[in-house]
Parts: sequence; C-alpha cells; structure tokens
Amino acid sequence: MSIPKLKTGIAAFDLISAGGLPVGRTTLLAGSSGSAKTLFGAQFLAMGILLFNQNGVFVTFEEQVDDIRNDLKGFGWDIDRWEADGKWTFVDGSAKEEDVITVGEFDLSAFRVRLERAITKNEAQRVVIDSIGSIFTHFPEHNIIRQEMSKVSMTLRRMKTTAIITTERTEEYGAISRYGVEEFLTDNVMILRNVLVNERRRRTIEILKFRGSNHVKGENPFTIVPMKAIVIVPISAMRLTQHSSSERTTSGVAELDQMCGGGFFKGSIVLVSGATGAGKTLLAANFMNGGTEKKQRCLLLAFEESKEQIFRNAKGWGQDLEQQEADGFLKVVSLYPEVCSLEDHLINIQDLVNEFKPDRVAIDSISALTRNPTERGFQEFVVALTSFLKHEGITSMFTATTHMLTGGATVTEGDIATITDTIILLRYVELTGEMQRSITVLKMRGSRHDASIRRILIDEKGMRIGAPITGISGLLSNNPIVA
Amino acid sequence: MTNYWIQLFINRNSATSVGAEENLNAILKKYFPGDYQLEIIDIQEDPDKAEEAGILAIPTLIRKWPQPEVRLIGALTVQTRVLAGLGIANVDHLQKQGDK
Repeated sequence: MSIPKLKTGIAAFDLISAGGLPVGRTTLLAGSSGSAKTLFGAQFLAMGILLFNQNGVFVTFEEQVDDIRNDLKGFGWDIDRWEADGKWTFVDGSAKEEDVITVGEFDLSAFRVRLERAITKNEAQRVVIDSIGSIFTHFPEHNIIRQEMSKVSMTLRRMKTTAIITTERTEEYGAISRYGVEEFLTDNVMILRNVLVNERRRRTIEILKFRGSNHVKGENPFTIVPMKAIVIVPISAMRLTQHSSSERTTSGVAELDQMCGGGFFKGSIVLVSGATGAGKTLLAANFMNGGTEKKQRCLLLAFEESKEQIFRNAKGWGQDLEQQEADGFLKVVSLYPEVCSLEDHLINIQDLVNEFKPDRVAIDSISALTRNPTERGFQEFVVALTSFLKHEGITSMFTATTHMLTGGATVTEGDIATITDTIILLRYVELTGEMQRSITVLKMRGSRHDASIRRILIDEKGMRIGAPITGISGLLSNNPIVA
Repeated sequence: MTNYWIQLFINRNSATSVGAEENLNAILKKYFPGDYQLEIIDIQEDPDKAEEAGILAIPTLIRKWPQPEVRLIGALTVQTRVLAGLGIANVDHLQKQGDK
C-alpha cells in the first residue's frame, strides 16, 4: 500500500513527487551551501498557509529569525502577519552566545518541549527544521545530538506532522549529508544541487527515496523566481497525454496549406528549418498574420531581432504587425537568449502564455537558445516547452537556423525533430547559376502532404510558393544533380 | 546585596537535571554563601521562559549577573569547571575560604 501524500503547493513538486511529501513523515532535505534548502522549507510552509490553510512551525538552528523574515519578503510572503495570525511560528534555536561551556551530561528536552508546544499552539501540520547540521556545530557531543535528534524525529511522527529537516552536504555528488543524520532519517531523502555547468549555475532537485511510495527518479531542474520562489521544471514527469486534434488551421500561406493537406493541425508543433535569409522569420510572420485574420490571439517570441526590426521587416512584406498588436490580437516579445537560463526562459514563456492566452505561438528562433546551455539542458527545455504548449492546445511554430546555407542538419533539429508534428525545410538551391529559395514539407504527422520541393518567391507581397522544382535530385543532401 | 544571579533550567523528568540541581546547590553553598540568588526553572511548568531564553539543552545554567551573561550546559559534575565557567578566576583562594 502506498503512503498518502501531502500536497506541498510548490510548483511542479507535487508532480515529480507523485502527490507531495509523505504525510505525517519527516523528509530529509540535503544540499550544499547555497542550494536553496532554507527557501524550499520556507516555501513548503508558505504554500501550506496560502493554499491549504495549514499552519506551520519553522525551527531555525542557523540563521537569525529577523534575517529569515527579511529574506522571504522578496517572495511576497508576509511572515510578520502570519505570525500575528498564529499561522506561522518560529522556534529560534540559533546560537545565542559565542561559546557554550559543557560540563557533564545533557539532553535536548528543552528543544523538544518548545517544539511540541509550538506545534500544539498553532495546530501546525507542517514543520521545517533548518538545519540539523548547525546543531552539530553548536554542540561538540555528536553522539548525544544524534540520539536527541532521533528523539525529535519521533516527536514529529507522534504529533503527525509532515516535516522537512534540512542538512548540509560538502560535495554535490557524494555522501548524503555530514554527521550521518541519514542513519535515523532514512525513510525519505531529497537532494538539492547547485552545480556549475558551462559557466552557469544549474539547480536541480532529486528525490532519492520515498519509502513505500512512488516518485520520479533523477534530477529535475528548478529555478528561483521573484514572487514565486522555487519553480521546478518537471522534465521527467512529462506525459504524452495531450489529445491530438484533427481540426485544421491555416499556416498563413494558402499554397502551404495545400501542401500540408489543408493547413496545420490545431495544437500541433511545427518546426521550420532553414539557413539565414531563407524565409523563416517571414514564414513565422505569415503564421501570425494567418491567425490574427481569423481573430485568433497570436504570440511571437523573438530571440534574434528586436521588435522594431520585426515590424519594419514585416512592413516590407506587406504586413502591418504593429497595427495587429494595437488591435490586441498579436503580442510581440523580443528577448535576448543570454539574459537568463533556459529554466528561466521556460518559466517566462509559461507566464506570457498564461497571461496572454494565445491560440498560436511562434518562436523565432529556437536555435538562438542553444547559444549557452548544455545539450541535455536544451533537450529538456524543448521537451518541457512543447509539452506545455501542447497541453494548452496552442498551435506552435519554432524556427531553427541551419549553419550551412544550402542545408544540412543541426543539433537543434536533431533534438527537436522527433517531438514536432510537422517539419518544413527552407533551403537555398543553386540552379543554373542562380540561387533559388525552396520549401518542402518533410514530415507531417497524421496527414498526407505534398512531398515536392517547391520554389518560393519573396517580394513586397510576402511569400509566394511556386511550382515544384523538377529534374533535380540531391537537393537536401547539399549535392544537387540535374537528372 | 547578592553578587550572583543564576538561573538553572531543568526538566524534572530527566535524571541529569536532578543531579545538576544538587551539584549546583553544593557549589553555591560552599563558595558563595549568602551571595547569590538562584532561580530554578522547570521547563515542563514554565515553557515560556525556556522559549524566551532560547534554551535547547537541559540542564542549562545562565549566569545573568554579573554581566556578561554566561551559559553552561550539562549536569555540572566537575566543580572546577563550573567555577571557571561562572568566571571565578581564583578557585584556590575560594577553596581555602570554603575550607575555613
């Protein structure tokens, strides 16, 4: 039988933990210095108060209570008010004197009495002890402390509180904690990490074990956002449960609709791959235009050009995006890929989508986001993003830049190709001493499509798709041969 | 006028506390006759005071006066260490006085 869980209310944590923390049990939260242990604990209590009307007790052995109150204000949590309302209680166990002289045997019964009293007084269901390592530094008698803390964990269990006890670790990949506290806090263990990868900090949370209960294995990236605190990106918890639609929606180019057998599927992900200048941004602009004409809400996320550049270029193709934005159907957001981590971009995009509620989203280009992260990080990002967009039922177009002018695959495409529904290639073709642009629908999941390679013309009216280019083979392999 | 104000936080349910109270009484009677004020606080009866003073360990002795505050924890089993902890520099001198 599985142990019931207590929903924490921490974004996506309840997903990766299959429902939250084991109810009535204590979970050990281990992490190196600066891995957001205190924040995770505080958020567990704050969410209990905000979302579930469950009160909490916060025991601090390390930081001063005033410092914690101040630090948490940045997340919009008014601890002072919660304390006054009897929803949040601090038990201050931080060091009071520089040194304590020990003469003979002692126990921590005063701490247990204070803790029990605090829990009883505000009927707390959630308890955080931060951090158990600090109490080992207060008292040099580690055997006594181990024994006493094990009594504390029994007290917590007897009082049926769901608790988090934090502990320090010295290495990111090594022993679970210092002082061997995992010897008596063995049932539930989670690890927070803060690792330097490619000159960037990557934060992850791993549920090492929940005895007698399910959870997602492995590390899940998370990020810390003002006003939201910890937001976990549930990579490995993604499920392919999105329903697929057979309803069609226009690509914004009539001929392309025909090539795709009547338009894109609603809620599908379209990848447009092409070299610089091959017409990707134009296709994305058309995709937006096709939406706004049908009174759909469209969101364009530009990672390569500024808003002004996009508006100007679109004018050259006969599209007034500025007017469309003024009408409220279009929103153009221009972002620098380097300003934040991929996790932050993901949260940011989710926020934009939740706020604007678009029917379609275009990202120009997704490959701009590969400039800094690790390959694995990017893959996780794309999986999380597509999963989110599909879940919201948003028809999406991602553009990807190829390095070779005439084609060739890129890392980006390799990562994305399998999870996109439709792939469109824009390629330069050298034909009898002339560079021509071409378009082809490489893949379209669940539909017949035109497999021919067609010429495209870009003029002041935008994109026009012409006749198939025949009599030539090897176009896509970058080695055209006239038959 | 008393020169020492001492608080001892104990827990009546624990054996170490009883020992500490006895040990402290013996030391005070011997070295500070009539010169101290001792306040015994049982955390089971008076948890507010334990909360206020931020007590974790039992027994905890606090020398409130003279300033600065000094804290000792444990059953106070070693007299010389308790005296040193209370800030009695010349233990030998006191020892002689006590023997008189």
